[in-house]
Order: sequence, then structure tokens, then C-alpha cells
Amino acid sequence: MVTCTGCALLCDDIEVIVENNRIKETKNTCRRGAARMKGCTNRLVPSIAQKPTDIESSIRKAARIIKDARTPMLFGWDNSTCEAQIKGIRLAEKINAVMDDTSSFCQGLLIERILHKKFRTCSLEDIRNKADVLIYWGSDAQDSQPRHLSRFSYFPRGESRQRGYEEDRMAIAIDVRESNTAKICKGHFYRIPLRGDREFILALIEALSGKVPAYDTKKMLELAGILKKAEFGAIFVGIGLTYSIKDDFDILTALADKLPNFNIMPMVGHYNMRGFNETLFKETGFVNKVKFDGKAIHDNRYAIMESLNNKTIDAIVVMGSDPLSSLPIPLIPYLASIPVICIDPCATLTSKIAAVTIPSAVSGVESGGTAVRMDGKGIGLSTIIKSDHMTDEEITVRLMEAV
Amino acid sequence: MGMDIGKFLKSPEYDIMITTYRDIFQVEALERDRFGEEYKKLSAVISISKVDLQKMGLKSGDRVKISNNNGSIVVEAKESKRDEPGGLAFMVNSPWSNSLVSGDTRGKGIPEFKNINAKISFSKEEITTTDNLIGTIFKKSGSI
Repeated sequence: MVTCTGCALLCDDIEVIVENNRIKETKNTCRRGAARMKGCTNRLVPSIAQKPTDIESSIRKAARIIKDARTPMLFGWDNSTCEAQIKGIRLAEKINAVMDDTSSFCQGLLIERILHKKFRTCSLEDIRNKADVLIYWGSDAQDSQPRHLSRFSYFPRGESRQRGYEEDRMAIAIDVRESNTAKICKGHFYRIPLRGDREFILALIEALSGKVPAYDTKKMLELAGILKKAEFGAIFVGIGLTYSIKDDFDILTALADKLPNFNIMPMVGHYNMRGFNETLFKETGFVNKVKFDGKAIHDNRYAIMESLNNKTIDAIVVMGSDPLSSLPIPLIPYLASIPVICIDPCATLTSKIAAVTIPSAVSGVESGGTAVRMDGKGIGLSTIIKSDHMTDEEITVRLMEAV
Repeated sequence: MGMDIGKFLKSPEYDIMITTYRDIFQVEALERDRFGEEYKKLSAVISISKVDLQKMGLKSGDRVKISNNNGSIVVEAKESKRDEPGGLAFMVNSPWSNSLVSGDTRGKGIPEFKNINAKISFSKEEITTTDNLIGTIFKKSGSI
């Protein structure tokens, strides 16, 4: 059995058939996991100024760039092991870098509050064994973490839930769109308008407080009734909810306070985003958006978005991420105007504009280590096939030695 | 010989509100080859309710230009398979949808990825490619 790094569920019940040092077949994976484990068609090659070179030269050039930069940024890290992440923090300390990951524009707001214990939370095993009411809110797990419902939440048998979805569990979807997850929650899909989550939460709080909510009164009272009866509930917070209430996140805490039998669970995409948040939190007390300058300083201006908007960084190491694909395109011209060092197993849009590219091993396939599942549990990753590529950790150490 | 007056007429523009979502097939294609045809085919698409398509005089399979202050793309319009009430269209999160997202986060670091307002019109132009997207970036950064 090996672990899949397709998403932050880190499914550790995967079987693989290896032939000629390639993964030929996977068993138990979802489509995403299978595709990641089998590998991309375009492996990255070392280059400087878009011209192929050897790996040693590319590392030397990358080190020179970040050493010479006034304010370098180390960005990415959510597709790297915890071991690489900690080395990344050491490198950031050594060169006084800004450090951020994709959580600053993803689930960072939520994970930060979970690590500060602002919410009750639990493990995915607790969900499997005990949960009876499951709310997918702004989360289409069927497409983003496809085995969430089958391994942990709705379909499995559990210690206190012998009959699973047929009798013992109810799944509810609250979303702007009838997602594939919402389709499974038959009869319990609450469609809300775009950015309507806040109003929905406030009405639900009213209904839970014994008041008559003005908003969709009948459905809201019905939902409040279901939630009050729950023995062990979970709200799976998707990025849809996080984005919608980002300016007033405390209303989710207010809702959680009204639901003493419920746990708040983050739905995380990148396999080790939570790992980065936890690793940085342990080291600095912050989950993302920091600048090292003798100590770690935390501020929104150290978010990747703001660093590009305000043009405050003058070189960037992109580790296992593709900001050209994932950031708003209006921010990219500045990114393309500074030296980009792209470290990745595969060619990406970002590698196409990089001053230096450094190919790495695929973590969880060509190199092992540890990662943190979306619920905070540490999971081991195995080396499945041999590779000549350096790991993210080794590359980071080499950069540290060279600066 | 009759003149095709249609080609001189600008297709009518409509306001459209777009939100983004994830699709397992598109994510699978991304893992395999983010420069591939499959990824483009599954990303450069906007899903619109039947009622909204009718209002705009569009049909499934038409190419549409979607533009706002942040960028402009040409994608394929598809009728939503879901029974949608209308008023909101859907795009899978990708560099295509990100072309329409503002970089301004009011200092908070989180863009409005899921809350996009734009204009949409019928288009005869080719679907935007990743090369087009990267080309635009280079032009703006002055690298070429």
C-alpha cells in the first residue's frame, strides 16, 4: 500500500503496478490521483534563460539570483513534503526572504483559525466512525477530493454508523451550483445566490436561536431542525464558502458556537498545504505571508498577490506551483518581469517564463517523506519508483549551501 | 453578389456573472499535460443555463468572447447540463477564467476568483490558447 498525493486526503490504501520503473496501473485511486501518480507528459529540464543546461549550473545560477535579490520570495511548497518545507523556512531565514504559499488565496484563513483552536474539529476517522450529519458547504468534494464521501463521510460503515448513507447518515449541500456532490445530497441541496453565504449563515443562526428567519423561512427552519438533532455533525468548508465570507470570517465561528455537536473541517486541494501551514505555524506562529528579518514578520503585504501588486519582490523561487495558471492574469506581467526560478517535476506555464528551471522528483512517487492530511493527521509518503531527480528538499539544501 | 452585412455588424454584448468550479476530468487533464488539447478543451468553456443562452441568442457550441477590464478570452459556450435558474454562468478554474479576475484584492491577498462580472458576445475568433495567454503576459511585461 502506498499514499496518493493527488489531494490532501492523502489516501494511503493505494496499490500500484510498476513496470520498467514506471507506474503502469494504480488501484483505489481517483482519476486525479491516478493521473498524478502516473506522471505528466512534459518533464522539466534544467535551463537558464530558457536554454537547456545541466542541473549544477541551474542551481548555481538560482543561488546567485536569490543572493543578489534585495527582497526574494520563496513561494509554493504545498506540493512538497514537510521535510522540504522546513528546509525552505531555513533558506528563507538565511536570505531574509518573503515566504508564502497558495493558502494565502485559498484555505489559509480557515486553517489559521483551526490551528488557533477557534473551531471544534476532529479527524476524518472520527467522521467515518461517528458522523451522522454532513454538510458540504461551498465544496464539491466529488470533483476536488473525490474519495472523501466514499472513504470517510457518507458511504462507509463506521463504529456508530453501521448503516452508512442508507439510514445512518445524511448529507447536505449548500452551494451556488448543483455540483456533483450536491446531486448526491438528494433532497438536501440548498442553492444560494453568489456571495449569499453570509445571509444564509445569519438566517441559520436565527433559526437555531429559536427565531423565525426572514430568509427562506420554511427551508431554514427545516435545516435548523436537522442540525439540532445531529449527534455528531461536520461542516466541510470548501473554498466557495471561504471566499464568500472572507471579509467576515467570524460569522462562521458564530455559527459553530450555535452548533455544539458539529466540527469544522477544511477541504484542502494541494496535498501538503496544511503541512506548510502547520510547519510554518510551529516555526513562527503564522501560517503564511511572512517575511524573515531576524524574526518572522506577518502581514497581508507578504501575500503573493500583494507582493506582485505592490512590486515589492525582485526575484522569486516557485516551488511546485504554477502561479501563471493559478493567479489572476493581470498580476502576471510583473511576475514575468522579475527573475523566476521554477522548481517542479513538470513543465508548467510558469516554467515557460522562468529565468532558471530546476527539475525535481515527484514527491510521493519518486521520493518519500511526510505530509499533513486535510484534518491535520501526519501521513507517510513512500518512494515508489527510482529517479535520478533531486528531491525538493535536496534542491533547497543545495541552494542554501550556495547562497 | 449579395454582401454579408452580418460580418460588419458587431454581435450584441450582454452582461454576464460568472463563478468558477472544479471538474475532475479537467484536473486529471491538468496533471497529465497542462499544454495539451484535452486540458484546453475542458478549460476554455463557459457553461450557461438554457434560459440565458436563449436570452442571448446563443446556442451550445458557439464561440463567445468574454471580456472585462482585466482581460479578454474566446471560449466555447455550452448549455449547462443542470437545471439552472439562470443569471449565473460557470467556468472551470483555469488560466482562462483567471484572465478575467482582477489582481486588486483590497490589500487582503484573496482575489475574486469566484465573482466575475464581464461582457459576453458571439465570436467567430479562434478559442484562446495557452500561447495566446502567455503572449499577452509577455507583451504587458515588456519582455518581448
